[in-house]
Amino acid sequence: MASVEISGLRKLYGSVVALSDINVSIPSGTFYTLLGPSGCGKTTLLRTIAGFHSQSSGDISVEGRSIAHLPAHQRDVAMVFQDYAVFPHLSVRDNIAFGLKQRRIEANEIRQRVDQVMEVVQLGKFANRMPHELSGGQQQRVGLARAIVVRPKVLLMDEPLSNLDAKLRVDLRAELRRIQQDLGVTTIYVTHDQEEALALSDVVCVMEGGVIQQAASPLDVYLRPANRFVASFVGSNNFLDVDCSGAEAALKCGGEQVLLDLPNQHSGDAVCAIRPEDITVVPGKGSSASDRPEISIPVRIKEVSFIGREMEVFGVTEHGETLKSVSRSDPSVIDLPLDSDAQFCIERHNLSFFEKEPLGGRIG
Amino acid sequence: MNLSLSRQRLDFWTVVTIAIIVMLSLLLVLPILRVLLLGFIDPDTGNFTLGNFIEVFTRNYYVNGLKNTLFVGVLGTVGACLIGVPLAFFTTRFIVRGKALISTLAILVLVSPPFIGAYAWIMILGSNGVVTNFFGNFGLDIPTIYGAHGIILVFSLKFFPFIFLMTQTALNAVNKSLEDAAENLGCSPWQRFYKITLPLVFPAVSTGAIICFVLAIADFGTPAILGRGFRTLSTIALSAYRSELGGPPTMAVTVSILMMAISMLALLAQRRILSKRRYASSLTNLPVPVRLKGWKNMLVHVLSHGIVILAMIPSAVVVYTSFLKTNGPVFVGGFGLESYQRIWRDAPEAITNSFVFAISAVVFITIASGLISYVIVRRETRAAASIDFLMMVPYLVPGVVMAIGFVTVFRNGFPDVFSAAALLIMIYFIRRLPYGVRSTTSSLRQIKPSLEEAAVNLGATPLGAFMKVTVPLILPGIIVGSLMSFITAINELSSTLIIYDSGTITMPVQVYVAVLDGEFGIAAALSTILLLSTGACVYAVFRFTENRDSAFL
Repeated sequence: MASVEISGLRKLYGSVVALSDINVSIPSGTFYTLLGPSGCGKTTLLRTIAGFHSQSSGDISVEGRSIAHLPAHQRDVAMVFQDYAVFPHLSVRDNIAFGLKQRRIEANEIRQRVDQVMEVVQLGKFANRMPHELSGGQQQRVGLARAIVVRPKVLLMDEPLSNLDAKLRVDLRAELRRIQQDLGVTTIYVTHDQEEALALSDVVCVMEGGVIQQAASPLDVYLRPANRFVASFVGSNNFLDVDCSGAEAALKCGGEQVLLDLPNQHSGDAVCAIRPEDITVVPGKGSSASDRPEISIPVRIKEVSFIGREMEVFGVTEHGETLKSVSRSDPSVIDLPLDSDAQFCIERHNLSFFEKEPLGGRIG
Repeated sequence: MNLSLSRQRLDFWTVVTIAIIVMLSLLLVLPILRVLLLGFIDPDTGNFTLGNFIEVFTRNYYVNGLKNTLFVGVLGTVGACLIGVPLAFFTTRFIVRGKALISTLAILVLVSPPFIGAYAWIMILGSNGVVTNFFGNFGLDIPTIYGAHGIILVFSLKFFPFIFLMTQTALNAVNKSLEDAAENLGCSPWQRFYKITLPLVFPAVSTGAIICFVLAIADFGTPAILGRGFRTLSTIALSAYRSELGGPPTMAVTVSILMMAISMLALLAQRRILSKRRYASSLTNLPVPVRLKGWKNMLVHVLSHGIVILAMIPSAVVVYTSFLKTNGPVFVGGFGLESYQRIWRDAPEAITNSFVFAISAVVFITIASGLISYVIVRRETRAAASIDFLMMVPYLVPGVVMAIGFVTVFRNGFPDVFSAAALLIMIYFIRRLPYGVRSTTSSLRQIKPSLEEAAVNLGATPLGAFMKVTVPLILPGIIVGSLMSFITAINELSSTLIIYDSGTITMPVQVYVAVLDGEFGIAAALSTILLLSTGACVYAVFRFTENRDSAFL
């Protein structure tokens, strides 16, 4: 149980910047998730903390003590690997005991602690099995048990669930969270799966291009994304260009302009972000008025797909932009023929605005 | 802070890498450089000269040696292809009974001591050979085995297993859909074979052929025993070395450089050809062997088994001969153990020397190949890449050449600290190291690096992780590699001939000397011991590998 402080961390591969200006402060006991697309630097950051890569500059400290220049085997940060990395020549028990033996702990205590942790991860029956006799999910339980049994200061997890099938992933996810909370161990977790990140974490840290884009609670990241990248990566989003040429910023809706109440009177190009679940589909033509609390955008229906609990409706605006809506299934919408007219209605307070560039910051 | 940083960089594997580089520089690069250098120095004046090469390329003695070498090398390789490719085709495309036996015998041929073939054929087809005498009784004068055609015969029968095993592996990996497509587009079975299948396995065939060619031109025992005036570069190099004893071995070295150049050129040519032919194979549709009927079935069986039996004849003859009753060098009829008694009485040190040298070299090879493989596979540094490259060099440098390099570096240059025994162990070590490294490396590539990281992450030092996790997992590969290097070390002849002295004679040398003296009983008994130890190792390799054939390539 320890706090982690990373300051000014940089990692270069030749001239390629893999990590840049990483500053992170993780309070003790936090479940901290690094989320991002592949190649964003999240695994590099994790492996740098573990000591498998050395940083080009900057510092990493645990409980106020720098570990940045310690060799990997002295860092006391236990890691759970994506491919399990369960030693194939050792039994489940010997795998779990490996780190304890390395720490020269007395045999009796090793036995006790291994027995105990096998109960925690529900592997009690498998103590003497060899890894090849275990399923993927069981192997990953061994990986987890092996890491937590040494009572590390920090637990590192590198996409531990990504090699498991969907059902198992969800089950083990809940279990991971429960075990982490019971132990109260500071955990740094890498994933590219946003649902996993949101479900598990105290803090979600979204990365792209080797840079941290936003680190906040799951709810904040989802509801108040710091920039356009976060808004598009976490959850899905529609982006509509905002016309900033006039005195007041406006959204083009059909022939009319819907004036927007853009905060801080922004100059430069901007986009308006609309979550698909905030769009209600109303069949038929309608009229929009800028003074209403709701804006409605006239579209032609391009595709309706019924996926059970929900339906996805894609509409094309008169300016050729495609918008996606996700809502409760409604037979009157599902039966709409292609190319028929409809209104996409959004409440004004659900709009958010960003500068137009890919990493453009939030406006307001 | 700076100090601790630089100390951290000098981690365990960096130290190991440096140690390996130093070792390879001393034992491999330095001797070869010495050989290269000596070839360009005038032995009388000590000045730089191209005169040695001019002499080699103008004097008939050397030019004929070069021609002879290329002649038997190329034709021996062609012969091996003509035997190996059809055999591979038969065993993969048709149902042939005793397929495992064929592979096993081919492997035994591959690993059996190279010179045994030569002298066993003398006992069959030599001037006093069994078959020669048989036909002689009827007044028929059949041509003897001596000369170029004999060498080519021995090379073909000795080296075809390389072609056979490599082509077999490749044929098993050809996507059957491609052959089906060819047939569907109108190819007859024969057209399908030479228009589609053969080109697809060409990379494997050519790789096997290059190995054959390199081994054939480096081979010393066969031309030395069967040549009778037909000289190749390797026999010329050894006699030049012997006549130049006391002075710098200039001509021996110049001929050696020529041999290395031929090997290198052959390898480069093969790389060039292969670079344009890379066929990704998807194993969606595996080939299915066909059951032949009637005379075709008979023919395929007779040919397949006939080839390996023919290739095994030398070994059989050797074992049989070793149990013949002898009186001195003369076979007196009937069976007896006199040959074994004689080697026990006259040459016990050849047996102990062979085992002591080979085992000592293999102990070092085992340790070194574990470390070297780790550096090659896990460290993506330029040093690792150059070690990987250097591991190919011993295959290309003929034993005679390497030994001359060793002698010039460690005898004439250094103060004489190394005994002949030490030099022999060192040269076996460096020449057979690649067998250990290759086997260990391919094992290690199957092991996920995350396993070692997990061990380190759990508190094991880099060396601890290597010993506790890596070594147990690659142990089969290490054992197979060690056995392979043992087989090749204990059967080593050409470099031993240059280095050995009265106290360090080995079994292969004793066999060679005995054959030259006409002591076929002793030669047979010693060869049988060599065959037995080789066979035992092959059996052990079978026990430790899943894919039997590929372990030997």
